[in-house]
Amino acid sequence: MQTRVLFFGKLKELVGAEQSVELRSGATIAELFERFANQKPELASFRSSVVASRNQEFAPWTTVLEPGDEVAFLPPVSGG
Amino acid sequence: MTLTPHDDLVLLVRDPIAADTLIHHVRQADDGAVVTFDGCVRNQSHGRKTLYLEYEAYESMALEKMKEIATSLHTLFAIDGVAIAHRLGRLEIGETSVFISVSAPHRKAAFEACRHAIDTLKKTVPIWKKEYFEDGAVWADGELPPVPAATPAAKPAS
Repeated sequence: MQTRVLFFGKLKELVGAEQSVELRSGATIAELFERFANQKPELASFRSSVVASRNQEFAPWTTVLEPGDEVAFLPPVSGG
Repeated sequence: MTLTPHDDLVLLVRDPIAADTLIHHVRQADDGAVVTFDGCVRNQSHGRKTLYLEYEAYESMALEKMKEIATSLHTLFAIDGVAIAHRLGRLEIGETSVFISVSAPHRKAAFEACRHAIDTLKKTVPIWKKEYFEDGAVWADGELPPVPAATPAAKPAS
């Protein structure tokens, strides 16, 4: 299944802003992050200081993805 | 520009924030108070001289989260209207990065709601700032937003 993935802040500088990836049915957000961390080992060090969103709602790492989902990986927010 | 069910105004802008528009939006005849928060770009960070800031956002989600904040203020406080604007892109020292106005029949609720709004925005709205100094640039330290717990039905992480 096709999943749209977005990165922001320092993660964007590391991986790029947006990618579309093919995932197995039933894949979790954790697996998706793992996929990128395998390509960019530096990304793995950010795992504990990143939260994920699915379709613009904060979502736990165990969330099972559906076809067409939009997932984003978000570093600590610093608006204001 | 987005209006919520309560007619609140929530927006992300790239031009200077028109604070008077946000104040007038919330100010009604039955209000006794309008409290505003003007968040502005400081000239230093941890003792280092700041040249300018750049803000970026996950725009669609940021607007949703700002709407959620506005809507929640109506259930938490006896207020009337809310307007929240955040600016994106390059901001110079002294410029307004975020502006919040809250109206209420009585001042106490307006003060408390405005404080709650900026505190929540800084923790939950996906916006990031990069600080530019004479000798480089860094992403500002931020807060990790709270994430809802996994539901029991969710598959455990491998």
